[in-house]
Amino acid sequence: MVHETIAATNAVVTLDVPIPDIFWGWYVTMNMWAKSIGTGLIFMLFLLLKKSPNEMNGLRTPTLILSFIMMNLFLLFTLADLHQPFRMWHIFFYPHWTSAITVGAWMATIFVGLESLMIAVMLLKKNTALFDKVLFWVTLLAIPVTLYTAGIMAEATARELWQMPTEAVQMILAATLSGSAAIILLAGNKLSDETKQFFGNILGLSALMAFIIYMSEYIFGAMKAEEVAAILHYVKGDGEYATMFWIGQWVAYILPMLLIALYRVSRSNSILNLAAILAIVGLWVVKHVWLVIPQLLPLS
Amino acid sequence: MQLGFLVDLHLCMGCKGCEIACKVENEVPLSTWRLRVKYVDVGTFPETKRTFTPLRCNHCENAPCERICPVSALHYIENGIVNIDRERCIGCAGCVMACPYGAIYIDPETQTADKCTYCAHRVASSMMPACVVACPVEANIFGDLDDPTSNISTYIQQHRDVQVRKPEKGTNPHHFYVGAGQVNLNPLASKREEGYSLFNKITKLPLGGQH
Repeated sequence: MVHETIAATNAVVTLDVPIPDIFWGWYVTMNMWAKSIGTGLIFMLFLLLKKSPNEMNGLRTPTLILSFIMMNLFLLFTLADLHQPFRMWHIFFYPHWTSAITVGAWMATIFVGLESLMIAVMLLKKNTALFDKVLFWVTLLAIPVTLYTAGIMAEATARELWQMPTEAVQMILAATLSGSAAIILLAGNKLSDETKQFFGNILGLSALMAFIIYMSEYIFGAMKAEEVAAILHYVKGDGEYATMFWIGQWVAYILPMLLIALYRVSRSNSILNLAAILAIVGLWVVKHVWLVIPQLLPLS
Repeated sequence: MQLGFLVDLHLCMGCKGCEIACKVENEVPLSTWRLRVKYVDVGTFPETKRTFTPLRCNHCENAPCERICPVSALHYIENGIVNIDRERCIGCAGCVMACPYGAIYIDPETQTADKCTYCAHRVASSMMPACVVACPVEANIFGDLDDPTSNISTYIQQHRDVQVRKPEKGTNPHHFYVGAGQVNLNPLASKREEGYSLFNKITKLPLGGQH
């Protein structure tokens, strides 16, 4: 590893002005976080339809509206992060299809359009049959919509930490984690105990799998590539991102897992709700740390 | 035609003439650089030496910036230059995130991405890039890589230590270095310690978004 030569060369950069600071900051974190909840709610609504259609009553419209709000929050932060937001229309008139940004923007727009249609179907026609039919296609579309950010991260080739296979899985798990948490909080007592436990299990298992992947990267990532080792150093030392990383892991994954285990024994709704709140809050922190740390490494 | 660049680091003396010429030619705003010369000090006093490395866009054959750009603002032109259309750029900074060489910046005046274009406007008028003209020791060699008789092709043929930055990224850069060591080309081969930089308080102009 070239890093080891520093002891011999004592090489110190004495003049360089690298591209400054963090370009994708908390606006992009908000983007990913809101999209995870927005698409995750659709996944959960579809699972509810398949598992227990009777419990859909009274949940179709509020779940769709919450998902719609989160997707618009995601689009708002995407737009706000652009340096030329008024040129956003270029994506639709000059699309470059090798870019995951373009593909994602188109899919997300269609997704939000379909969500609007579903809300209109419920509010104006109260046509649950049509709603349930469209929900299938919207759920299918939600998969690439939630995945495409992993594609963008993969195309950001300068950031070695982000690899498509792991980021894709993490995006899906973020959606199932936050979606199950959001529907638990949204539905409240409208769900039966069995269905609550079902969503609680999804939450706990999503947390467990996401935690395993992060720990795998944390422990084994550095063995494969020097750049990854240098990036992971930001979460292995004593700095602010190391603290944030572990806060995120505890709040998003470890505590919700423990609370879900406790809920299965106690059947306490308060414990389940607390797990859901922690998962949603912690996910933001986890995503933010993983977004920022590769940008701290000088590229030149 | 495939235009390329080569810098002979045996000749470069870190005068920054290329950097200034680039700034003037392309009206690069304060706090941003299309081309910059990195200094790395090596060794322990009194056995020390200073190395100089001009850094600019590598005009990769497989350019990650071109691939990620959602509106084709970054695009290839027929002579192999990766050019940028600032009128089309939406300022998503995807290219900034994708470039493994840190060669792209957001222009604080236009709020769009910008980078070295090998002075495509000068090349179109059969002129050399401004940095080539300014170099007092002819360390910058520019020409057609497809022409085996061009200066750059001859230089590559005659030197054994021709290297590119980060070849493992698979970008196939069209920017070469002769006489470079790890400290020149690999950012992980040197430390960045506070207080060691010749300029410690660099003012950056505000950018859009949350930056």
